[in-house]
Amino acid sequence: MKKILFYPIIIVLAAISTILIISVIIPPKDIPTYSDDKLREFALNKGLKPVPSSFEQLIKLLDNDSSNSMTLEKIALGEELFFDVNLSKNRKTSCATCHSFDRDLKNNGALVRMLTKESSSVTDCAACHLQDQSGVDRFTFAQGDGGKMHPHLLNTQTILNASLAKHFTWSGEVSSIKEQSKNSFLAHHKMNMTAEELEERLRENPKYAEMFEKVFQDGTSLQNSAKAIEVYAKTLLTRGDYDRFLEGDNSAMTKEAKRGLANFISIGCKGCHNGMSLGGQSIQRFPLRGFAQFFEIEPNIEISPEIKIIERAFPFENSGGYLGKDNEHLFRVPILRNVTKTSPYFHNGAVAKIREAVNIMAKHQIGRNLTPTQIDEIVAFLRTLEGEIVDYKKEQR
Amino acid sequence: MRRVFVKIALFAMSLSGIFMYAPFGLSWENFRVVQPLHIVGSILIMLFFMNSFIYRHIRRYFFIKKINSPDGWFLLLAFILVTLSGLYLFLVGNRGGDIFGIISFNIHLFGSFVLAALFLWHIIKAKRQNAQPLALFVAILFSYPSVSYSKITELSLLEIEKKTGVYHSEDWTSSAKCKSCHSEIFKQWSNSNHKHMAGSNPYYMVMETLAGEVEGQEFRKWCMSCHNPSALSLGHPKTTHAMDGNLVGNEHFESGAKTLLNDFKEHGNFRVEEGVSCITCHQIKEAKSKGNASFTLSLDREKYLLEDSKYDLGRWFSEKLINANPKVHKESYSKELYKESRYCASCHDEFHPQNGIKIVSTFQEWEKSPFNNPKDKTKHKSCIDCHMTYMKDGKFAPLRGTSTDGGVIKDDVKVHYFAGSNHFLAGLRDKVHEEQTLQLLRTSAKLDVAIKDGVLEVGVKNVGAGHHLPTGVADFREMWLEVEVKDKDKKLIFSSGKLKSDGNIEEGSRLFQKVFGDENSKPVGLLFWKYKTLLSDTRIPAGERRVEKFELPKGTKKFLHVNVKLNFRIYPQWVTDAVKKVFPVLLDPNVVELASVQKEFK
Repeated sequence: MKKILFYPIIIVLAAISTILIISVIIPPKDIPTYSDDKLREFALNKGLKPVPSSFEQLIKLLDNDSSNSMTLEKIALGEELFFDVNLSKNRKTSCATCHSFDRDLKNNGALVRMLTKESSSVTDCAACHLQDQSGVDRFTFAQGDGGKMHPHLLNTQTILNASLAKHFTWSGEVSSIKEQSKNSFLAHHKMNMTAEELEERLRENPKYAEMFEKVFQDGTSLQNSAKAIEVYAKTLLTRGDYDRFLEGDNSAMTKEAKRGLANFISIGCKGCHNGMSLGGQSIQRFPLRGFAQFFEIEPNIEISPEIKIIERAFPFENSGGYLGKDNEHLFRVPILRNVTKTSPYFHNGAVAKIREAVNIMAKHQIGRNLTPTQIDEIVAFLRTLEGEIVDYKKEQR
Repeated sequence: MRRVFVKIALFAMSLSGIFMYAPFGLSWENFRVVQPLHIVGSILIMLFFMNSFIYRHIRRYFFIKKINSPDGWFLLLAFILVTLSGLYLFLVGNRGGDIFGIISFNIHLFGSFVLAALFLWHIIKAKRQNAQPLALFVAILFSYPSVSYSKITELSLLEIEKKTGVYHSEDWTSSAKCKSCHSEIFKQWSNSNHKHMAGSNPYYMVMETLAGEVEGQEFRKWCMSCHNPSALSLGHPKTTHAMDGNLVGNEHFESGAKTLLNDFKEHGNFRVEEGVSCITCHQIKEAKSKGNASFTLSLDREKYLLEDSKYDLGRWFSEKLINANPKVHKESYSKELYKESRYCASCHDEFHPQNGIKIVSTFQEWEKSPFNNPKDKTKHKSCIDCHMTYMKDGKFAPLRGTSTDGGVIKDDVKVHYFAGSNHFLAGLRDKVHEEQTLQLLRTSAKLDVAIKDGVLEVGVKNVGAGHHLPTGVADFREMWLEVEVKDKDKKLIFSSGKLKSDGNIEEGSRLFQKVFGDENSKPVGLLFWKYKTLLSDTRIPAGERRVEKFELPKGTKKFLHVNVKLNFRIYPQWVTDAVKKVFPVLLDPNVVELASVQKEFK
């Protein structure tokens, strides 16, 4: 009987000591580290590009539509239209109500003005958030003219850098900003106009007649307004620390952010969030994996186990019931530039914090559970994508 | 076979128990593993081996073989006692408050020695030796690998003002975790102004955003270092507020930190708790009395097993581990430093980060006041003696009670209401807080009145505050005299300090305050950090008396009825008006009366 006991114990001991010895002998895994220049080369080779800093380069990059060329007059007209609240049914909503940023690109003093002036056109949320220069309303779901909610409770996407994308809106079904601005004018939950009403409103303002005359041969129309807005939107690009790093400034990004960039590329985020805009180039399925569980039992000390039913559709509550393009979970890959300024996240704004969003993306799109360090590094990298709207007008003056 | 296993198991459990005993000096990394092994192992052994073994053993020897062994019965008694005390320690714990916990601990500790001795005695007596497995198990225990637990935290020391590095959100243990054992303290803190100093404080949110807009976004860090150290240490660029759909969450009206508890339930510790949380103060390692967050905060602490578990069961288990032996927990959260005023000074003094001009000097005022008297302990009063002591009927009435549920009864539990002067915001959430703050405020000043040669002289003496009255951002505090003088027909002949219809105090009123001017000697308004020149300072230092003179109209008759009130309002109306533009749901702070005197002159 003693023998029966003796051998198992010896085997167990041997197993334990083997495991311990292996853990001591094997050196820690060598994680590749990139020097700054190597990292830059790596990033550029993978197709990541900085946003142009001069108007000339901008024209070279984006003036690619012969039916809607970029002229200074057209840009000025587009800007006028973009900020005009009269172009909505109740005269309260402009493009900039939802795609909100300070028209004065020096971004100075909107809050001071609001706090000190008796009356102000700035609303209470915008007073603080105008200085974000985020190009979104910071709401969970979009609200159009007259406070109308989006039928699918979709979250507003930023207009900034949108012109670098190939596909537009959450489903990616729209192929140009021109088309989408037409949609926005006409949608009942956005500007709530008709083509005729819009033309009427444009005629109210004598300034427009002149401006349209200069730019277009056929004068004021919905089509031409959309064209002008598209051209203006093309100038709404932002540059941040990330762009300066790509252009050769090693001090522009912190060590943590650089590790985040390396992770971003090597883990595979870059596979979809690519190009100059880091997104917007393709339509992909979300969630891709690991979502098919119906419920999750969380151990707890109550008598009945706590069973959380997880909706099959998404790793978060799908308020609004939106299921992407063709109800097939197909979404345009969102643009990551300025992502840290545009919380909450995902199509219905169900996820409030960027770390949670990164975690969900890694888990469900790449199939990896990131460590807190990896998450924080990627977030640090995403912060370097924040940027100021480039003042291309400055050069022209 | 079974007997051999039982012996091995019992020795493993008693040895692991002895390892945990303090004189043995087991390192923390090992302790936190041995402790749960000891508990889980004992329970498993009890369930699967011991009960059936004891039953069979007794049946076999006592009932069948008819051997009556007294030491066997003693062994059984000792075994039952050790088991019961162990169960008590695990399920209820030795929290210090109940005598059963202390008895259980001692029975469990010494009983196990007795048990081991009786056990050996019983075996030897039965002339059965099984030294081999015993020796083997001792060998296993000694070769026990020193499992170094993987620290989530990489940095050992974080001086927030230096921003030497970054912690992860998970390292900022949510205050919601503390609630399960410190429910009363949690309740006090959850409605206090310390909890609502960042995202849920409308005044703060407006000021931080304003500072960011005027001075550049980096400047927010100055505000955040005291108001929101957790977010700052994680590299967040600004303070955020909760959202409820498309609306700003109304956290400042909400008692019991509901948003925090919900956040914790849904996201665990993955989502960081912004603001001044439990561990912000209770993990401060060193504090300098310089102000501007001159404290050193380290989140590296000794954690019990499963303390960071994502699951309720894991957390429940870790709480049991803490309760069973709370010494390490206590030591890692409490320091002698926390009783000293210099600890509070690290945030309750404030200077401009670039030009060094002093903006708030509450601690320095206290240092010079008679309240700071380290030689005479009876006269020495530190910050917590007033601001963290329970008040009843207008007097300090140290609260007798516990700070842990079921813990040791203390004569003076330091309450976490943090009563100061902001009765208004705390009062939106909880009337007890408002009451505590008002009681404290009303101990601060005394009034006296006299009339000399047609001049009304009102004396205000700072009798209760160990600092200037008012202190803090003294340009945003309103303390003033409301005076009414009536003649014998009850006709009002003189008044001062009335509110105007727009809620502001009328011009010419006597306010006790500090007025900041910018470099051009113009009042700074909301931008208090622009302070360069002191336009006026009418605050009353600790223990001093200030006399305000009011010239009465000429020809005033001798018979006069004088009514003087000392009023206080936490924020001037013009400040609230500005904040309300951004937070329209905010209420107007009320005016409270701190002292009053009526006197008739004949």
